[in-house]
Amino acid sequence: MGETERLKRCINDLIGVLALPAIWTGSDPTHVLSTLLEALRGMLGLDLVYARMNGPPGEAPIEVVRVAGADTFTVQAHDIGVMLNERLGADPRNWPPVTRNVIDGTEVSVVAMPLGLQGEIGALMAGSGRADFPGETERLVLGVAANQAAIGLREARLRSDQKRLTTELDQRVARRTAELTAANQGLRKEVAERRRAEEHLRQSELNLRQMTETIPEMLWSATSDGAIDYCNARLLDYTGFSAEAVMGSGWTKALHPDDVEQTARVWISCVTTGAPYRVEVRVFHRADGTYRWCVTNARPLLDQQGRILKWHGTLVDMHDWKEAQEALRNTQAELAHMTRVMAMGELTAAIAHEINQPLSGIITNASTSLRMLAGDPPNVDGALETARRTIRDANRASDVITRLRGLYSKKEAAAESVDLNEATREVIALSLGVVQKDGVIPRTELAVDLPRVTGDRVQLQQVVMNLVRNALDAMSAVEGRPRELLIRTGRDEGDRVLLTVQDTGVGFQRESADRLFDPFYTTKTSGMGIGLSVSRSIIESHHGRLWAALNDGPGATFSFSIPCEPVGARVESLVSSA
Amino acid sequence: MIATRSLVSVVDDDPSVRESLPDLLHELGFAARAFVSAEEFLTSDCVERTECLILDIAMPGGMSGPDLQHELMLRRRQIPIIFITANGDPTIRPRLLAQGAAACLFKPFSDTALLEAINAALGTS
Repeated sequence: MGETERLKRCINDLIGVLALPAIWTGSDPTHVLSTLLEALRGMLGLDLVYARMNGPPGEAPIEVVRVAGADTFTVQAHDIGVMLNERLGADPRNWPPVTRNVIDGTEVSVVAMPLGLQGEIGALMAGSGRADFPGETERLVLGVAANQAAIGLREARLRSDQKRLTTELDQRVARRTAELTAANQGLRKEVAERRRAEEHLRQSELNLRQMTETIPEMLWSATSDGAIDYCNARLLDYTGFSAEAVMGSGWTKALHPDDVEQTARVWISCVTTGAPYRVEVRVFHRADGTYRWCVTNARPLLDQQGRILKWHGTLVDMHDWKEAQEALRNTQAELAHMTRVMAMGELTAAIAHEINQPLSGIITNASTSLRMLAGDPPNVDGALETARRTIRDANRASDVITRLRGLYSKKEAAAESVDLNEATREVIALSLGVVQKDGVIPRTELAVDLPRVTGDRVQLQQVVMNLVRNALDAMSAVEGRPRELLIRTGRDEGDRVLLTVQDTGVGFQRESADRLFDPFYTTKTSGMGIGLSVSRSIIESHHGRLWAALNDGPGATFSFSIPCEPVGARVESLVSSA
Repeated sequence: MIATRSLVSVVDDDPSVRESLPDLLHELGFAARAFVSAEEFLTSDCVERTECLILDIAMPGGMSGPDLQHELMLRRRQIPIIFITANGDPTIRPRLLAQGAAACLFKPFSDTALLEAINAALGTS
């Protein structure tokens, strides 16, 4: 081959090598290495060509080998890398330009050179069986190829790193996106659940509200401090007041003016103590423009610590019922009065009959006696006899009266075992209507371990009832201070039981304290004034004492004290009545 | 004084009436007999002779005054009857008078009231 021909070929090879980067654009390092090695082997007629690209620290390098004939060389790329390291040294910068080596039993001239100035990119090795390898132009082509490869590999590595980073970034973005998507789904689920719960709550509230608005009752509620915060439509319709008007303390506007003070007092007391609220009160009724008797009830809603959270209440119109009760009571009173009158009439007739018989004898005998004396001659013996009969019949009449007195006075009380507390409670229950109507606050302090007494239960109840009625009468004219009725029971000294009825009424004149119990003595405009007299008789027949005292404050206290039942007496009386 | 006195019979369970009334009737100029019950009167010999009957209304244990009145009506024995009673119920008087009684006196009654009633009954005022 002539010199010109050799140079021409060299220039062609250099152009081919310089054209490689255009092929490498976008390729990965393995492709770069493969195409480089293919090109060099073809251009230079090499038997063996090897290239290595170092991996990042801690990673294996990429090694590629190309051979001319698979029959001659079976050596692996990695083995060549190891061999170069062992025979030429670890640092490519110190490698000799050409060495003779035996590979797979064949002696080859080897040109090994670093890729990159420091060999940091990798290494390139070319082997040829020719003894004159490498020639000058071959050395030039290999040098240029090594430079080109270093640049190409650096770019490829950069690309690879970028690609890796991009992939990594993509993966991280995807991972984060997945996480966010999952979180988002969870959030969406939570929102949906909350929405469902809210909807459920709203529905439940709606149901409850519908119920309170459609139920045929008048309902209201109040805050823990007693301010009204809800009235259902039925209640507002009844009173004709707007919701705004009755809120807070505005509800008192719907009450009868005379009932406001007392009702408010009870309500405040209940709100303070948490006691159930129940008041009979006249409420304005729009439909007929009158006040009607209603009963309002409320209970506190308590939290776990027993604190009041709210009050829930009802209002019930009981006007008709109350009027019926009133009518019934009047009828009963009338009936009782008529019964008494009739009984009195019968009694009078019986007494008259008993008295008239001897009176008749007296008058007949006296008339006969007078006629006998007026005769001519006078029948003196007959007159004496009839006069004697007159005296006898008069005595007979006197006996009748004595007998009657015995029959109707100091009748022995029926003896039974009586629980005075229970008897008192019955009386209070019976008179509660009257008590509340009078605007009186009844209170009781009944001793828990009160011994029983022996006596006539009905008579003792009459006494208690009588004392309660007296107290109510004494308070009926009281204005400007609470009308309070206090009934107390307890033990008295000397195995006795004490009952007191205390009022805040007008009291009595201190000097008339003893006359209070005289029959027909009364300070009242109505009544006969025999109540206290009869009461004292009853208590005295129970071996007890009834007395009155003025309070330190306003009003009076009436008390009675009777002996309690001896121990074992109850059993005895039960046995004897059997 | 007339020779034959009219017989006035008294039927009353009260002993003081049976004791006192005949004496007064005697002083007033009548013959008098007293019986403790309606039954005793009916079985006596005075039913036919009695010209006026003074009859107590209520007599426990046997026939009452009105019962005796009814019985005499059945026997077609018409005797004027003066009812006497210690029961002060004024409503019985018009009822008894409507049923044919000559008079009705409430105990105690005066001798003049009795005499007026008997005279009216006998038609000899």
